Amino acid sequence: MNLERLPNEEKLCLCRKYYLAGFALLPFLWLVNVVWFFREAFVKPAYTEQSQIKTYVKRSGMGLLFWVAVLTTWITIFQHFRAEWGAMGDYLSFTIPLGIP
Amino acid sequence: MVNNIEMDVESNMEQQVSGAAPEPAQQPQEAAVIRARSRGSSGAEGGGDGGVGGNGSGPEQNGQPPTARPPHVVETDEDEDEELTLKYGAKHVIMLFVPVTLCMVVVVATIKSVSFYTQNDGQRLIYTPFPEDTDTVGQRALNSILNATIMITVIIVMTLVLVLLYKYRCYRVIQGWLFLSSLLLLFFFSYIYLKEVFKTYNVAIDYFTLAIMIWNFGVVGMMCIHWKGPLRLQQAYLIMISALMALVFIKYLPEWTAWLILAVISVYDLLAVLCPKGPLRILVETAQERNEPIFPALIYSSTMVWLVNMADTDRPKRNSTEVPQQEPQEAVASPAPSGMLQDDGGFTPSWVNQQEHQLGTLQTTEDTRREIQQLPSDRPPVDDDDDEERGVKLGLGDFIFYSMLVGKASAAASGDWNTTLACFVAILIGLCLTLLLLAIFKKALPALPISIFFGLVFYFATDNLVRPFMDKLALHQFYI
Repeated sequence: MNLERLPNEEKLCLCRKYYLAGFALLPFLWLVNVVWFFREAFVKPAYTEQSQIKTYVKRSGMGLLFWVAVLTTWITIFQHFRAEWGAMGDYLSFTIPLGIP
Repeated sequence: MVNNIEMDVESNMEQQVSGAAPEPAQQPQEAAVIRARSRGSSGAEGGGDGGVGGNGSGPEQNGQPPTARPPHVVETDEDEDEELTLKYGAKHVIMLFVPVTLCMVVVVATIKSVSFYTQNDGQRLIYTPFPEDTDTVGQRALNSILNATIMITVIIVMTLVLVLLYKYRCYRVIQGWLFLSSLLLLFFFSYIYLKEVFKTYNVAIDYFTLAIMIWNFGVVGMMCIHWKGPLRLQQAYLIMISALMALVFIKYLPEWTAWLILAVISVYDLLAVLCPKGPLRILVETAQERNEPIFPALIYSSTMVWLVNMADTDRPKRNSTEVPQQEPQEAVASPAPSGMLQDDGGFTPSWVNQQEHQLGTLQTTEDTRREIQQLPSDRPPVDDDDDEERGVKLGLGDFIFYSMLVGKASAAASGDWNTTLACFVAILIGLCLTLLLLAIFKKALPALPISIFFGLVFYFATDNLVRPFMDKLALHQFYI
């Protein structure tokens, strides 16, 4: 899919759909949105829909940062305290490493 | 070339007003050349018309300007095609080398590091019921031949079912099938893959993180492949699912069966594509008649080509806004090839060959193996798309079998890297040759036979001849 060939309304529509879909626990989708539409939103010369695309990209970026923060925190907590949590830790674990208490 | 055939179809059926538009400037110069030229099947008709049109230009052209023009257009396009095909040849080869190499690298890296895929758990696919750990060599050979026969029969049956479904316009069924199979690959197989990778590296992962990862990977994959997404991401996903399928095959097919299946698949591919009664050929011809794209979700396309639709001259040059709207109509899965395929009177035909497996001990999981012919998507640059790059397309099934060959070589061979590298080089050489033949014959060709044949030859030769030789040399510290 080449963004160059799409008319601006289509681009806006696509950006918007990606943004909205990202609310379904899909930070990766927001990442794709940001990377893909970054040039469109910030580098290209202005056109009518660009301001809206900019808002969507910015909001996707913020959502992405939020998710990154949440996931990093959770993973750090989990990895650090997993052994100490005992049974609860095992229950939460998908794979349990061998040989490490 | 496929598009030459399509040009003939179009010039027969419709009037290429839009197609003729870019050509007028070139026509005067090319006119003399055109008359002098005579080309193959597609050229014959164009040459005849062009010749008549050129010589008796008065009556023929005045009488029927539209029909006289397309042959010129065809010929100029053919001229350009011939030249430009050769000009772009090396670039296309490189464009295909990279994804094929990436896929193989992923498979080999996984095989080497994650032992799960080389363990023999005793599980088999239900389509290869005969075990290979038998007492005698003869029994083993017999079992593997039987397994391969069953597998090939299943493949042939599935292909015929597919062709029938397509012929009787049961598009929904086919699309649902494709959708389900990519769903399975993206979620279930990647889940297993992640689990094994984490086990191998002894990393603790909790359910929450895992769920988020699999969910994201799967949903974004489905969107990229079946809907709209960035081209690079779509290519990456196609490579990944090909690698996953190849890994499944490597794990669940016993040794001799796997090699036999590779050989037999290549022969079948050759027959199905090139024989007039071959199912895949029928599929393509039906699609050509109907001017439709075929299953674009299962083709790897190296670039995004976005050309103007020349088939329908009732409406003027179609701009790209219409293409996305076309997609829901045709319920076409992926945007990249569908953008390509919808143009120029439809399509670049491609083949799909599907197969469903039932994994032995697991419940109702379905795999799909797809095999698509490699075809040229070179088109003459049209109208305002002169700067458009032409892409070459390769079917996912080809990726899968190439990676399976190299993966098996790295898993099974005692010579390890020598054999693996030899197979890798062999496959790339085969791919080059196939692309060369493509440029010469200009019609869709099977991509498997040459590469797999070379790969098999190199594998067995290296494993049995080169490796002992190199070991001996190394042993005696004799450098040549």
